[in-house]
Amino acid sequence: MKQRPISGGSLSAVELPVGAVRAVPLARPASPLTEALRRLRRSATALVGLGIVAALIGVATFADVLAPRSPTASDQAHTFARPSWDYPLGTDQLGRDMLSRLIHGSRISLAVGVSSVLLALFVGVPLGLVAGYSGGRVDTTVMRLMDLILAFPIYLLAIILMVIFTPTAGLIGTMKVTGAIAIVRIPIYARLVRGSVLSIKEKEYIEACRALGVRTPSILLGHILPNCLAPIIVTTTLGIATSIIVEATLSFLGLGTQPPTPSWGWDLKANVAFIQTYPWLSLFPGLAIFVTVLGFNLFGDGLRDALDPRLK
Amino acid sequence: MRTYILRRLLQIVPTVLMITLVVFVMMRSVPGDPVVVLLGDAYTEENAVKVREEYALDKPVLVQYGIWLGKLVRGDWGASILSGRPVLSDVLVRLPVTLELIVLSMGIALLIAVPAAIIGALRQNTWADYTATTAAMIGVSIPEFFVGILLLLVFSFSLHGFLPSSGWMYLPGTCPSMVCGVSVWGNLQHVLMPAVALGVGRAAILTRLLRASMLEVIRSEYVTTARAKGLSERPVVFKHALKNALIPTVTVMGLQVGFLIGGAIVVETLFAMPGLGTFGIDAIIARDYQQVQGFALITALAFVVINLIVDLTYTFLDPRIRYA
Repeated sequence: MKQRPISGGSLSAVELPVGAVRAVPLARPASPLTEALRRLRRSATALVGLGIVAALIGVATFADVLAPRSPTASDQAHTFARPSWDYPLGTDQLGRDMLSRLIHGSRISLAVGVSSVLLALFVGVPLGLVAGYSGGRVDTTVMRLMDLILAFPIYLLAIILMVIFTPTAGLIGTMKVTGAIAIVRIPIYARLVRGSVLSIKEKEYIEACRALGVRTPSILLGHILPNCLAPIIVTTTLGIATSIIVEATLSFLGLGTQPPTPSWGWDLKANVAFIQTYPWLSLFPGLAIFVTVLGFNLFGDGLRDALDPRLK
Repeated sequence: MRTYILRRLLQIVPTVLMITLVVFVMMRSVPGDPVVVLLGDAYTEENAVKVREEYALDKPVLVQYGIWLGKLVRGDWGASILSGRPVLSDVLVRLPVTLELIVLSMGIALLIAVPAAIIGALRQNTWADYTATTAAMIGVSIPEFFVGILLLLVFSFSLHGFLPSSGWMYLPGTCPSMVCGVSVWGNLQHVLMPAVALGVGRAAILTRLLRASMLEVIRSEYVTTARAKGLSERPVVFKHALKNALIPTVTVMGLQVGFLIGGAIVVETLFAMPGLGTFGIDAIIARDYQQVQGFALITALAFVVINLIVDLTYTFLDPRIRYA
């Protein structure tokens, strides 16, 4: 363990002028959570990000009400319509309303982005906890496996996994993409948690727990996990942004959720062929992906500043 | 140092073996049979058995891997099941395209990131800093293919084909076969948009990282000392601060290689470039086992070699880091 030099002292103590008395706070200091929430409320980036994310969740939830038309109904009389009152974002080559497709497409992006990260979290965090706490052979086995996944360029692994799963439409298709992205991202959480556990398990209060006879699962879940939550929350939020990009990329390569299920990446891929004559058809889905990712990134950045001010 | 490099080069072997083995086993579990595709209308049970024997597809997976490895040691990367062309020559034709794309995009990323991060860190919380951090935020949130599409719209379609939207021209001296377009200007025209599309995201990530570590370094005591002893700002920033701040950045650059290879697949697909990325994705989708193995091998090699270079860069940035 690292030891701070005793003579070093804290910077603020050194800076105090001779004879000055440091004010002693009388009120009970705010809890770390209240403190973090206060910082979060003051961060403009976090609030903008939260706003975008909340709006998107609203759009995805009420897609059926918000979308003016069906995202899959094709209108042969109105193919490649320019943006107008009837079709605010125009129609594609099959005469499908782009606005409705974008509104419904938000479901795939959000669902895959959030659930793949949660899935990776639910597998990766326990693996990291157990590996870090038990050490020895368990640790080596788990981490070697994680290193093996990490040794792959992530897109290569995700692409091969998707080819094995064979992309399909609908809920099953979405679950396949979710699974592929989750597998690729498990090691991130396992490593993150293992690292935190390694330092936390040496603390006195964990030793005290053990001396008191607290059982290992309670120590792990009740005492160690809460202390590595901050980095997990931040990594999760930023991870959603990455997962949404990976999903869009897989769709763009034709390996995401298949049509007729509306997906931004697929719409972009399908309309690139007409980019010269109908540029907006690829611009709108691209913008949708960009704004969504931006929202999660801004919120994640704000969260990191709020939860761990040292990182700023 | 020399023994260290030698040891690291030896460590490449198990990593590459592991990656190629996993890809080998995974590809065999992909549903669909390339033999059916290959034979097409000529498919009969007899023909299929013959072809399977020819490519050793009738043997257990691990035996097949052993055969592949045995040939590889003798310099034979196998031949494509579908086209019959030798994999190695295909990989060699496409390697310079992807290599140039990746190197140039990394160069563009550094060219943007280093100045942006230095300005951001030195003038923290000024409009220059806000511009740099906002641009970086946008850069990390925008997928490569969308940058590519925006570039296409501006430089290919609005400016009447100022830059070509697809295809490739080789640099003189890099063309590995007899039939390819060679021109310096043509090469630049073809590589510029894809490299920018791939580089923008990297630039953004590096800017954020480098700015953060610059901020940390610039507040450290040795920088104060350097300033106190009367050094002018330039050597303080470039010699003392930047070199140390670059260490975490270089680590991340190494980790980004995995993303760069994926990005190359996307960008090459968008710009229809004859590189390794399009080679790999086509091979995976067509289940051309031999080509996929070739792609996995070259990717794994690139991955480990670049990470070795990253580790060696540390010794240059911080002479205290020594490898024995």
